[in-house]
Amino acid sequence: MSAETASHAVTVLPKQKKDYAIISTAKRLVKNKVAIIGLFIIFIQILLAVFAPLFATHDPVKQNLSMAELGPLTEGHWLGTDNYGRDMWSRLVYGARISLFVGIGAVVLGLAGGITLGLLSGYYRRLDGIIMRIVDLLFAFPGILLAMLIIAILGTSLANVIIAISIWSIPTCARIVRGSVLSIKKQEYILAMKSLGASDMRIMIKHILPNCMAPIIVFATMRMATAILSTASLSFLGLGAQPPTPEWGAMISAGQDFMWTSPHMIIIPGIAIMCVVFAFNVVGDALRDALDPGMNLEN
Amino acid sequence: MAQSILDIENLVTKFKTANGEVSAVRGISFSLKKGETLCIVGESGCGKSITALSIMGLLAGNARSEGSINFNGKNLLNVKHEEMRKIRGNEISMIFQEPMTALNPTFTVGFQLCEPLMIHNKLSKKAAFQKGIELLKQVGIPLPEKRMKQYPHELSGGMRQRVMIAIALACNPSLLIADEPTTALDVTIQAQILDLLNDLKDEFQTSLIMITHDMGVVAEVADRVIVMYAGEIIEEGTAEAIFNTPQHPYTKGLLSSVPNVDDPYFKLNPIPGTLPNLNEQISGCRFHPRCPHAMEKCIQHSPYRTKRTENHAVRCWLQEVEESEYRNYQPTSAV
Repeated sequence: MSAETASHAVTVLPKQKKDYAIISTAKRLVKNKVAIIGLFIIFIQILLAVFAPLFATHDPVKQNLSMAELGPLTEGHWLGTDNYGRDMWSRLVYGARISLFVGIGAVVLGLAGGITLGLLSGYYRRLDGIIMRIVDLLFAFPGILLAMLIIAILGTSLANVIIAISIWSIPTCARIVRGSVLSIKKQEYILAMKSLGASDMRIMIKHILPNCMAPIIVFATMRMATAILSTASLSFLGLGAQPPTPEWGAMISAGQDFMWTSPHMIIIPGIAIMCVVFAFNVVGDALRDALDPGMNLEN
Repeated sequence: MAQSILDIENLVTKFKTANGEVSAVRGISFSLKKGETLCIVGESGCGKSITALSIMGLLAGNARSEGSINFNGKNLLNVKHEEMRKIRGNEISMIFQEPMTALNPTFTVGFQLCEPLMIHNKLSKKAAFQKGIELLKQVGIPLPEKRMKQYPHELSGGMRQRVMIAIALACNPSLLIADEPTTALDVTIQAQILDLLNDLKDEFQTSLIMITHDMGVVAEVADRVIVMYAGEIIEEGTAEAIFNTPQHPYTKGLLSSVPNVDDPYFKLNPIPGTLPNLNEQISGCRFHPRCPHAMEKCIQHSPYRTKRTENHAVRCWLQEVEESEYRNYQPTSAV
């Protein structure tokens, strides 16, 4: 048959690019100038975090009291030292590792919980009432208070900070997912999947979840900023990282007594937190625009 | 051929709503033979789609079905959830009205076509892909290898409906339910799809339930026709019987609502009024408020099923009107 030969001819032609939805999203993302700055900052943080031992010039926790409270641009300590003579740059670099780790950990845990609850409550009407009331209950607490409460119960440690912040992320995530599930569940292709005998589990995970990925990605990115900021806040309050851990919030907390004599002790970690939070927020914002299906149609 | 694969008896489907319980399907019974095409006709909202969804067991959570749906000896209303899941797609499958929305936009055509094969037939990925290409060829899609890797939005409406048909036929079901499969398509594509369904039905030895409100479609494919009105079957018979000697005023009305292009003096005779609301209480025959021949009796008593011939039954009091009067009676569709 001629149709068959033609089809063979076409399959030999250059292969189609795979996953071009991701590529086109990335292209739109890069068009946003501010997002590039954000992406750059995130890239630097990841670089510093992953290769912290290479970038650090000193041991971040080793004290050297003879070199205490040196200002920035001192020889050997280009960002100066803190009140115990620890190198600020090295502490900053290791701090990047901690904040990234806590941020990712909290967001992943939060997403796991939020997506599960959101899918279940959106898909099964019976569970909806119960799950959403529990979520409402979590919403009733101010976020940071909830985190403090959880840490008060579990004890102060970075691991518990991750748990606390992830629990705090669950309600928002669950609501976002539930909303998407509710609208996607009504689509005819879900009914069509059911008519083909797909199990509930398969429909939820394979067919509904990919369709609500866009808001989840945006949420996750924005949540990174919140998680990093909250880790710093909790550490500042003494509930997170304990000294001598080079955590940014803890660094500010330690530096506040020397605010007038060595302001760089709080300004430097402060700027680091600000930059990273700004970066994640900006990228999240840009992602939201880039993932908007309305904008997909324009191109 | 005489063996029936689907026997529906006294099927009632009710929905719980804020205004109490509402019946969408009110005690319908019919049976379907192997390899037969049955068309269910009626206005929007008369319970056609609900009947189909009742058979599939895919009604919304607030719905409840009574009666019995016997499919190959099993009452589908009593079958467990898990077992029903295995029947769906495998033994009974469904084609939906909107090819634009019935495919998942996030997956390739190939993925969606292979999925039922992998779920039900436990085929490997590779084997399922090969079978998928085979199926696309069968439904007349050119360049199937290329289409397998494309996303639904890259295909036209007709193409997508073909894909839907391919997916529905993937596991070689013995019953195929098509819910207005051509409504969203161009007329030219419509004819192609109907031809395709007819051919595939013969090839796969599938029984077909076609739900439609388009009498043209009915004429094209039907062996037997069921006319539904407000949740009830009001007339059923072979396609010839329904088209040549329609009995119920509603059926006549439906037939005279089809424009006739050949006759320049043809005037459309729409049925006056609209379908009653589901929770409206109507005494007697549910069609009487719109019926041009409504009698005293129609308002008081619901008509019973009258068999005119072996293959033709009607629910209408007009059947009782004496034969002499009956001859004098002028059908509305006559011009």
